[in-house]
Amino acid sequence: MVHFLQACMNGLLTGALYALIGMGLALIFGVMRIVNFAHGSFLMVGMYVSYLLFERLKINPYYGFIAAGIFLFGFGYLVYKLLIQPIRDRSDFMQILMTTGIALILVDTAQLTFGADYHQTNIDLVNRAVHFGPFTLNAASLLSFGIATVFIVGLREFVVRSRTGQALRAIAQNRDVAPLMGINVTRIQGFSFALGIAFAGIAGGLLLPALYLFPSVGEDYTLKAFVIVVLGGMGSIEGAAMGGLVLGVAESLTSTYIGNQWALAIDFVLFLLMLSLKPSGIFGRQRA
Amino acid sequence: MKELRGAKLWITIGLVALSCLPALVVENNYLLQVCFRIALFAALGLAWNLVGGYAGQLSLGHVAFFGLGAYGLAILASHSVPVPIAVLIASLLATLVAALIGKIVFRLRGPYFTLATIACGEVLRLTATNLNITGGAIGLTVPTVFTGPMFWKLYYLSAVALAAGCFLVNFWTANSRFGYYLMAIREDEDTASAVGVDTANYKLRSLLLSAFLTAMAGALYGSAFQYIVPDNILTIDISVQMAIIAMLGGAGTLLGPIVGAILLLGASETFKTQFQESHLLIYGVLIVLVVLFLPEGIVGGIEQLLRSRRKAAKPPAPTPNQSPAISAVEKGN
Amino acid sequence: MAAVLELRNVSKRFGGLRAVRDVSFQMRENEILFVIGPNGAGKTTVFNLISGFLHPDEGSITFSGHDITQTEPHESARLGVGRTFQIVKPLPTLTVRQNVMLGAFMHTSSVAQAQGEADKILDFLQMSHLKDFPARGLPLAALKRLEIARALATKPKLILLDEVVSGLTTSEALALADLIKRLPEWNVGVVGGVEHVMQVVMKIADHIVVLDYGAKIAEGKPEEVVKQPAVIEAYLGPKYKELVR
Repeated sequence: MVHFLQACMNGLLTGALYALIGMGLALIFGVMRIVNFAHGSFLMVGMYVSYLLFERLKINPYYGFIAAGIFLFGFGYLVYKLLIQPIRDRSDFMQILMTTGIALILVDTAQLTFGADYHQTNIDLVNRAVHFGPFTLNAASLLSFGIATVFIVGLREFVVRSRTGQALRAIAQNRDVAPLMGINVTRIQGFSFALGIAFAGIAGGLLLPALYLFPSVGEDYTLKAFVIVVLGGMGSIEGAAMGGLVLGVAESLTSTYIGNQWALAIDFVLFLLMLSLKPSGIFGRQRA
Repeated sequence: MKELRGAKLWITIGLVALSCLPALVVENNYLLQVCFRIALFAALGLAWNLVGGYAGQLSLGHVAFFGLGAYGLAILASHSVPVPIAVLIASLLATLVAALIGKIVFRLRGPYFTLATIACGEVLRLTATNLNITGGAIGLTVPTVFTGPMFWKLYYLSAVALAAGCFLVNFWTANSRFGYYLMAIREDEDTASAVGVDTANYKLRSLLLSAFLTAMAGALYGSAFQYIVPDNILTIDISVQMAIIAMLGGAGTLLGPIVGAILLLGASETFKTQFQESHLLIYGVLIVLVVLFLPEGIVGGIEQLLRSRRKAAKPPAPTPNQSPAISAVEKGN
Repeated sequence: MAAVLELRNVSKRFGGLRAVRDVSFQMRENEILFVIGPNGAGKTTVFNLISGFLHPDEGSITFSGHDITQTEPHESARLGVGRTFQIVKPLPTLTVRQNVMLGAFMHTSSVAQAQGEADKILDFLQMSHLKDFPARGLPLAALKRLEIARALATKPKLILLDEVVSGLTTSEALALADLIKRLPEWNVGVVGGVEHVMQVVMKIADHIVVLDYGAKIAEGKPEEVVKQPAVIEAYLGPKYKELVR
């Protein structure tokens, strides 16, 4: 039993980061219906930014992630303006291709710039553990969990309370009518995309201490992000947060009881199951 | 119209003959290998074109069939099945798997369909990495059909033969009811249903055909390189390449995938000699450019240009609500 | 004459909205029937139910002796139910002729034959000069004719024309109406749905069914139905009911 709960807890810790990634994609795909196959690659960029700050300026990733987030906000906005906005109204097919192309460019540029070598940050916190009761939790994971939670709650509040957030949801519900309400659709969409990418960057920064860094590290996360969005229900930011946690726990349990190498498989299985059985997601309404 | 058809046939035969030329002229084994890959990916692009071009279903999971063909060959051959028969059986097995996959993924639309196909490819890769029969992460050896100094020349010609076969399948499809139904599905599934097309059935058929051809290419590839590993033969990169080759050249056209293969692999090879590695960047840049400026692909773009030239030459036609119809009203009243 | 199409107590709900309520009517062979009613009356839903794009929650639909209550769209099409769509759905990158050939393919697998069939129908609809134009970019009047042509090519026993004259000018609409009047020549019965272009309905309908809020409120010959108070009320409001006296 303890074993089970321990696995669940570890899953929740990872899940919070997944939630960040998923919420970012939910902003882009769920709300704006832009199929962003480059999401994981942006996460990778966030990791490299944090890494550079750590290597060159000795900034701890647990501070550096903020810079990664800001950089990716700007970068995301640029990408949106130049490459995504022109094809905004084209088919999903085209968006998938375009973002796949962007992903290839990002990954390969990283490889040309930094080489294919694996890098690692050595932060003391990663090796420390926190004990309470029969449970042991990694100190670094606990910290990222805390930080991630702040951002998760923050984003949720922003989307629900702020005017921009409401504008966002208005556009998600009815893109044609929104401008009649005085909403500058183009600007909000650009902002939304940038914000989604920024969250991918933040997640990347927070993941840096825990993973080996190499150019294709982000690729698995694109699919994970979509799985999370589907789990959570289309267009639902809160759903994506829940979905992230669910995925984290599912992976952790799979790792513990079936084997490490099958953890990735559970992503696909959940994905295919969800789409076949309940396309509107665990928490979603009708919109798949 | 018939004369044009006849001319097209001769041009096609000529092109096939031309593509055999490298086998006679090129002696460098590395270059022959490059030619082999170009021909093979032309075949793959043409195979993908059936599902992605004509039927309009963006599958990014085709590597599943590619890998199944290669692994099928390797496993069957290790049980003493003669190579040609092994290739056939492997391809048929891949088609069976395609039927299963099709049942699942065709229920989904848009990006979900594409994601599901990706998931299928990845599941297969993970499975191959973790099973004993597929050699796990270490992989398997694949038997060769040809040996000796003519190795790459013969493999190249085989690839050309396969590409020609795929081309013929495309040609037949484009000029048959099957093709029209697929295109209808691509343009508007409701309209297709309204004229009696069982869309699920036809989508599946295009996938089965495509899977069979893809698997044969996979077996040929595995056989040529003699060693297969999941991360090489079941990687999503191959699925993406297939799609890009067809799109760049022109999805839904006959020559598109061929042009795409020559261009893309040619560009990537040139890039490779400059930078010694990493050809993905050029793929990415090309995709971005094509999507922004030439969404019909190269051949598609040319066809469109020709069509608009032809329209400009014709005198503008009266619309139906003018003379003919009104005179009918007058007559009727 | 036996009924070729019969709806019996058909109902359809969307969540809390009852789009079609206990609707029954019959249609004879080669008849021209119009289903009319104000906006939201349920006409398109009825069409979708007949053609299989939707399935009723209650009731049954029989066509030519077959029970088509639960059939899929392509199955209904093959049984002889042709249809056009209210918002035209041409196949944009194919030519006009290729669009029509698609319908013809239901009865032949030969491209040459389908082409011949398509050309014949395009002739009848006076669209031969548009044969080789891609469907995308054509004016609405042409696209509406294209919808009919494509449906006709499937050699249906019955063709559902959903709001087929909406969006056309009066002269375009009347011209199309004349064409529709001739469809029984091709052994095709017509079920049309129009909202307000009453000139067309009066001109060519044999038989009218009036819907309001999903329920049938009147049925009969055009001249009779139009005078019924319930119908006037549905279209113009209760005030005008009195004017009928």
